[in-house]
Amino acid sequence: MDTELAEVRALQAEIAALRRACEDQPAPWEEKSGVQKSFQAIQQFSSEGWKSSKDLKSQLGHLESELSFLSTLTGINIRNYSKQTEDLTGTEMTEKSIRKVLQRHRLSGNCHMVTFQLEFQILEIQNKERLSSAVTDLNIIMEPTECSELSEFVSRAEERKDLFMFFRSLHFFVEWFEYRKRTFEHFKEKYPEAVHLSEGPSSPSMVIRSASQPGFELVIVWRIQIDEDGKVFPKLDLLTKVPQRALELDKNRAIETAPLSFRTLLGVLGIEAALESLIKSLCAEQNG
Amino acid sequence: MEQTNPLRPDGESKGGVLAHLERLETQMSKSCKQSEEPQSVQAQEGALGTKIHKLRRLRDELRAAVRHRQASVKASIANVEPTLAVEMSEQEVLEEKLENVKAVLQAYRFTGLSGKLTSRGVCVCISTAFEGTLLDSYFVDLVIQKPLQIHHHSVPVFIPLEEIAAKYLQTNIQHFLFSLCEYLNAYSGRKYQADRLQSDFAALLTGPLQRNPLCNLLSFTYKLDPGGQSFPFCARLLYKDLTATLPTDVTVTYQGVEPLSTSWEEQRASHETLFCTKPLHQVFASFARKGEKLDMSLVS
Repeated sequence: MDTELAEVRALQAEIAALRRACEDQPAPWEEKSGVQKSFQAIQQFSSEGWKSSKDLKSQLGHLESELSFLSTLTGINIRNYSKQTEDLTGTEMTEKSIRKVLQRHRLSGNCHMVTFQLEFQILEIQNKERLSSAVTDLNIIMEPTECSELSEFVSRAEERKDLFMFFRSLHFFVEWFEYRKRTFEHFKEKYPEAVHLSEGPSSPSMVIRSASQPGFELVIVWRIQIDEDGKVFPKLDLLTKVPQRALELDKNRAIETAPLSFRTLLGVLGIEAALESLIKSLCAEQNG
Repeated sequence: MEQTNPLRPDGESKGGVLAHLERLETQMSKSCKQSEEPQSVQAQEGALGTKIHKLRRLRDELRAAVRHRQASVKASIANVEPTLAVEMSEQEVLEEKLENVKAVLQAYRFTGLSGKLTSRGVCVCISTAFEGTLLDSYFVDLVIQKPLQIHHHSVPVFIPLEEIAAKYLQTNIQHFLFSLCEYLNAYSGRKYQADRLQSDFAALLTGPLQRNPLCNLLSFTYKLDPGGQSFPFCARLLYKDLTATLPTDVTVTYQGVEPLSTSWEEQRASHETLFCTKPLHQVFASFARKGEKLDMSLVS
């Protein structure tokens, strides 16, 4: 009987404790920490959040299409950009109401197959009369580095601290580069035995040989030049390689004057037609 | 006390479980009270047994209720938090993307051409600079329709905008904008050179700088030694190529009566070459430096 009484008391105590636990423990929807906060957050989220998420998405979409437009327009695809600002205004300058700010910019991206990374500094000086902004340092890293035609241009841009010229000329250079590559590839495909590209389609020269006339070679060198002002233009030259005997037989000095004639031909027919006519003339027998 | 909770679809209120348990308890205590009445020992023992039995049942139910409670709290937290976490991080990802895109859009002004899409089409901003110094920006607001039209712009009136538009606007927007860029950058550069001459080297000018709005025709008189006895040189710079920042025709003349000595004639000729090959303000900067050198030589 005592043990049973003891058990009764123990059970009653446990029941009391459990009941307290039941009362203390709030219902799930009343949990203050964790769930409650989450719930409050959801409420906030529902009112502002879903709306702003949709807003964010549409804003992002709008800006991304703006970006894609600019990328197509300039031919330049900027992928990353960051900026740091440093206030260089000294106390004496503030007295004279002069403000000096140094901005450090870093951007990277690509223009077709050329990737670039730019780091430059802009110094802004504001005095009573005017605000002047000048690029004080420009560093350009480009890949691929084998584009020797570009490296000279890059150092010139760095020296002149001419950002705009760099981008504008880069865009046109790459356009010409791609056009040259396409043109060479086209001719290689059309006349596989006659046309040889020593360094592949990206090489600046195209060699025309005819199997039926060994010893004769026409080399077309197509350089893409960027002048002092950043203007990009193609420069094509014809080099001839002929056997000694042929030279002796050449009474009209056609071979000697070939490079000059080629220039004229270019002017008349344009690049593609001029190249095609050269290939045809050397391989006339093959095509005949 | 009753709350409808969207997280607990069964709508079970706090009252429910406890009320049930309370009823059980009242039953218990009633039966307990009943059992407190004097009874035979056997009856008491029997009553105690039943009591224990009932108490045990009550305790087990309460235990179950507490566990159920804990489980459902955990479950609801689990239900809420992952979705919340997913939604929050999606927002964070979006925000980060947005910041990045905004930054890159800002960066486009460093290419010289940037712009914004508008409801009608696009507003393009052309930035100009001369040898690292950033200068004015101009905008052209284009309306996308057939034919493409310029809605409005801030291009100065003496820039041949209509000509350039007539040539390229309808066939190749890019070409149109790049061409306009060339003209505007060249104009900005010429203007900058003329402004610098006027502001920084006024001491060397013996008269006002004459210039046209397009800044492609400049005329001025200058002296290498401002205090000196010599007659000033008169320079006329013509920039026929509107896309260039260096003049195409330069004439430097001497405004004296007597013919120039050989050394002066050499100087005059060299000045003509200088003006053709170097920016105006840089030429004058070199004059100023030479002047300083001259002074130094006088001193020593």
